[in-house]
Amino acid sequence: MISQRLKRVVLEELGLDGFEMTSSTMASQVPGWDSLAHLRVLAAVEKEYNIRFTSLEVIPLKNVGDLQLLVDKKIRNRSPVS
Amino acid sequence: MQSGLPVLPLDSLLWDVWKRRADEKPYAEAIVHWTAGKEPYRWTWGGLVESAARFSNLLQSRGVKPGDVCAMIFRHHADFYPLYMGISALGAIPAVLAYPNARLHPDKFRQGLEGMARKSGLNWLLTEKELGPSLESFVRRPGGSIRGILFPLEGPDAPPFSVSWRMPQNGAAPHGPCLLQHSSGTTGLQKAVTLSHLAVLRHLAHYGKAIRLHSEDKAVSWLPLYHDMGLIAAFHLPLAFGIPTVLLSPFEWAAAPILFLQAIHAERGTVTWLPNFAYNHMAICVRDEDLEGIRLDSLRLVVNCSEPIRSTSHDGFIRKFARFGLKPEVLGSSYAMAETTFAVTQSEPGMGPRRAAASMKALAQGIFRPALPGEKTRVCVSSGRLITGCEAKIVDEARRELPDDRVGEIAVRSLSLFDGYRNDAEKTNEVLTGGWYFSGDLGFRHEGEYYVVGRKKDILIVAGKNVYPEDIEDAVCGVPGVIPGRAVAFGIENETIGTEEAAVVVETAVVQKDLLKEMKLLILQAGMEIDVTISRVYFAPPRWLIKSSSGKPSRRINKERALLELGPS
Repeated sequence: MISQRLKRVVLEELGLDGFEMTSSTMASQVPGWDSLAHLRVLAAVEKEYNIRFTSLEVIPLKNVGDLQLLVDKKIRNRSPVS
Repeated sequence: MQSGLPVLPLDSLLWDVWKRRADEKPYAEAIVHWTAGKEPYRWTWGGLVESAARFSNLLQSRGVKPGDVCAMIFRHHADFYPLYMGISALGAIPAVLAYPNARLHPDKFRQGLEGMARKSGLNWLLTEKELGPSLESFVRRPGGSIRGILFPLEGPDAPPFSVSWRMPQNGAAPHGPCLLQHSSGTTGLQKAVTLSHLAVLRHLAHYGKAIRLHSEDKAVSWLPLYHDMGLIAAFHLPLAFGIPTVLLSPFEWAAAPILFLQAIHAERGTVTWLPNFAYNHMAICVRDEDLEGIRLDSLRLVVNCSEPIRSTSHDGFIRKFARFGLKPEVLGSSYAMAETTFAVTQSEPGMGPRRAAASMKALAQGIFRPALPGEKTRVCVSSGRLITGCEAKIVDEARRELPDDRVGEIAVRSLSLFDGYRNDAEKTNEVLTGGWYFSGDLGFRHEGEYYVVGRKKDILIVAGKNVYPEDIEDAVCGVPGVIPGRAVAFGIENETIGTEEAAVVVETAVVQKDLLKEMKLLILQAGMEIDVTISRVYFAPPRWLIKSSSGKPSRRINKERALLELGPS
């Protein structure tokens, strides 16, 4: 399940309106999300959530669901449960 | 200066040259295969040539014969290199093709391959099992040239042991073909160029000299090997001279360009080749904190090639990476094409390419002259001087030679020139006359150096890839609401990303906003299916497009009009 927030950031960065995206959507299925735009999208996500991805984390991402999981993990690690 | 490099024996076959390197230094590194998150795989010369011989033996046992064209469709794989060499060892002809991008519609991939199979006369498809099912139909087709699909890097087709690598080459001759390259393009319009062992070795000898290649050099590259710059400069050149080459995945580079810089640092790379957009991609996307500890001092030459060179891309690259040891004088440039094996010109290594601040007004009239104070200026970057073995001239529309400082089509004659597109006499006759290849690129010569400023043809170069506007137009004309045959595609310069973006104007009778929004998505998706990112869509009313005298909508005129009158949707 991907959050509305993640969906909004991605679609805004790509200048898309009304595109349906689910957790199994791959970048290659989204208009404009090509290899050059990929890092731009990830930078927008990093900025939105105030997190940082490493190159080894982003290379294996297969779909938006993977991206959501990575974002969730980063947020958890940023604010560990006491 | 002594290069310490061996002299290339021009009367040899590539395989003989590689075997010689393995004999001379079996334990020296030949290819370092980099993959993100893994230890690099380091091929020694002995290991590489032995593995190549095994692959050769395997292919022979599967029925591959000397002279057969073997299409290679693989992702980044450490065994790709010995497989390529093994095809050559057998006297067959390797042809590296792009692995289909996930964006590319399977039907479009098949259509493209079908066009290539027909024109290039492909005999074998060597690929990954994952692609097998979608390619089966090629083999069963009656009258087709393809005899089989092999999966030599997987499963039961893995190479057997115990073969000698001192094998004969089954009658291959230095004048015979050693590889087949395709002009990069979208679907069925790729043109195949075959090159002989002699042409390639002669070119490597001249190009090695032009870039002052020496025995301490180490190449580093992420370029795809289906592109002439990757195949000839980053693969064949180092292999022939016996210097190591470090090869990365183009997909991994695009997603994480820092990997390339890490490889240069870790491997002490000295030479590399990049298309113009890569300078911007790295300058924009690599973060300073990721560069901590990385040094680029080892680089002595970074050659910009395969796209028009933008001075702003060089400036941004130096601004970004100078702190990490990148020296401005290591920037270089080259004008190159598959039809001449690779390079025609090269800038002087260690000097940085020359620049000429041209008057834009004069350039528009086909003349180069330095801009006067206050005049609109275009900074043109030189691609350098002719390398040995190449001649060039600038010609007008009637193919008459023009003097220096006049803009015209660049025509090239070279010792390593192709002898025509394979099975395509019509295209060959268009561009090859009297031993001259008419490139379709526009440029001028100034003080002995060549400056490329545009293209005579309408072709777009998007991130180093040639895109034919016809392909985009055909794709978008299938979208409901677009008036059939009433679409024009063109490129728009984007200085920020250092390359062109694809744009399209379509005529439609639709005016409702929500329907236009849907149409835009479908148009973008139609582009995706041919692996082209359409960045801008302009909607125009019926009969808006201006036709040229030939009755077809003129791309240049309609581009100017769209930019002036229409806002992108």
